[in-house]
Amino acid sequence: MNPSDSDASRFRSVPTDRRGERDLDDLLVHVARGDQVAFETLYDRLAGPVYGVIRRVLKDPSQSEEVAQEVLLEVWRTAARFDPALGGAATWVMTIAHRRAIDRVRSTIAAAEREHKMAQIDTPHDEVAEAVEASLDAERVQRCLGGLTEIQREAITLAYYGGHSYRQVAELLNVTLGAVKTRIRDGLIRMRDCLGVS
Amino acid sequence: MKLFRRDLHSLSGAYALDALAHGAESERFARHLNRCSSCSSEVREFREVATAMAFAAATEPPPELRDRVLAAATLTRQLPPEVTSHARPRRARGRARARVPWLPWLSGVVATAAVVVAVLFGYAQAHTEQELNQARAQNQAIAAVLSAPQVKLLSQATTKGGVATVVLAADRHQMVVTTNGLPALPTGKVYQLWLIGTTRTVSAGLLPAATSGRTGPVLASGVVKGDTLGLTVEPAPGTAHPTTTSILVLPLPV
Repeated sequence: MNPSDSDASRFRSVPTDRRGERDLDDLLVHVARGDQVAFETLYDRLAGPVYGVIRRVLKDPSQSEEVAQEVLLEVWRTAARFDPALGGAATWVMTIAHRRAIDRVRSTIAAAEREHKMAQIDTPHDEVAEAVEASLDAERVQRCLGGLTEIQREAITLAYYGGHSYRQVAELLNVTLGAVKTRIRDGLIRMRDCLGVS
Repeated sequence: MKLFRRDLHSLSGAYALDALAHGAESERFARHLNRCSSCSSEVREFREVATAMAFAAATEPPPELRDRVLAAATLTRQLPPEVTSHARPRRARGRARARVPWLPWLSGVVATAAVVVAVLFGYAQAHTEQELNQARAQNQAIAAVLSAPQVKLLSQATTKGGVATVVLAADRHQMVVTTNGLPALPTGKVYQLWLIGTTRTVSAGLLPAATSGRTGPVLASGVVKGDTLGLTVEPAPGTAHPTTTSILVLPLPV
């Protein structure tokens, strides 16, 4: 944001084609220096997807809030370790968020399964679906998911939103491990092309 | 061998979606990534797809999460840009005093707390075992405040400059106070916090010495309805009652 700032200008050269992504990279650089205002802005931009993806995986609202808090604080704490050469800021943050949600699912598998069932009763899926439909991102993603074969789509959503390992996905879909690996990869290649990821 | 490689390669999708089993399987693939540039660029692209899926699932978090995260950030020390190794830079030799290794404690200290409060300032300043134990106990108490179900984040400038930030856990009658940018004090003077109520004024503790303009968290208990937070400059080591005009008047919504 500050043109005289040599560190920040280093990151300006990073080519980004997803809207807003470059701003986020810059913001994260400022966050890394302890800029709390930048962190507030970053929070406002990313807390929704962070909480949303964690909530999708964990279902339980209070656990999701807890994990989201851990993730967002980790972003604050480790912002200096963000390397734009490895991908955009949003991807960095979402990778942390999803991984933490998965860690939580796997560390408390029994408890999670119990809460899973309870939460499914508490939170009708329609509510989530409505929120999802509200955003442009969601529309794009839905359209691209719609272009996959059924088994590709199910494998990807069970793995990413459901937080299942590919072995569990194979069991759930009653297909071989090899088939799941291939379907996930092929599906992601189609998604990548459909979303225009370069 | 060829088959094995191809097999490994086909895991890129599952890896990008965190769908490999923890441990050996994902470590083996991670090692493979280091040697296979086409795999790592594929994983990078797949992670962007996953990011789009995360944005598609965006859900408004509960509003109190914002206060809690921002408050915790003011208390959380950030990691330096480079990964610190055991080797210390040569120029540090002059100042032989080792920094307290805090990371391993962190998980133990706040394992049960919802908040990961990475090193609270006390650690870096503690030099004896007793001080460390005190810092740990203090940090546990602070972590408990931060993970209370209902916290409010209050922030106000003082009349002499600088800002005081308060994390208030009303149901616990506790708060954590930090400051940033208060004017430095001459030797022999301290900043003292006060809880000013309708029937009593009590000390809520002294602010510790500032590090780069910030003072570490001070925990105060016994906050009751109608209390206002005050801050005065007092002769060290503090006084029983305020002797100067408060430079901060911050009502506490308990």
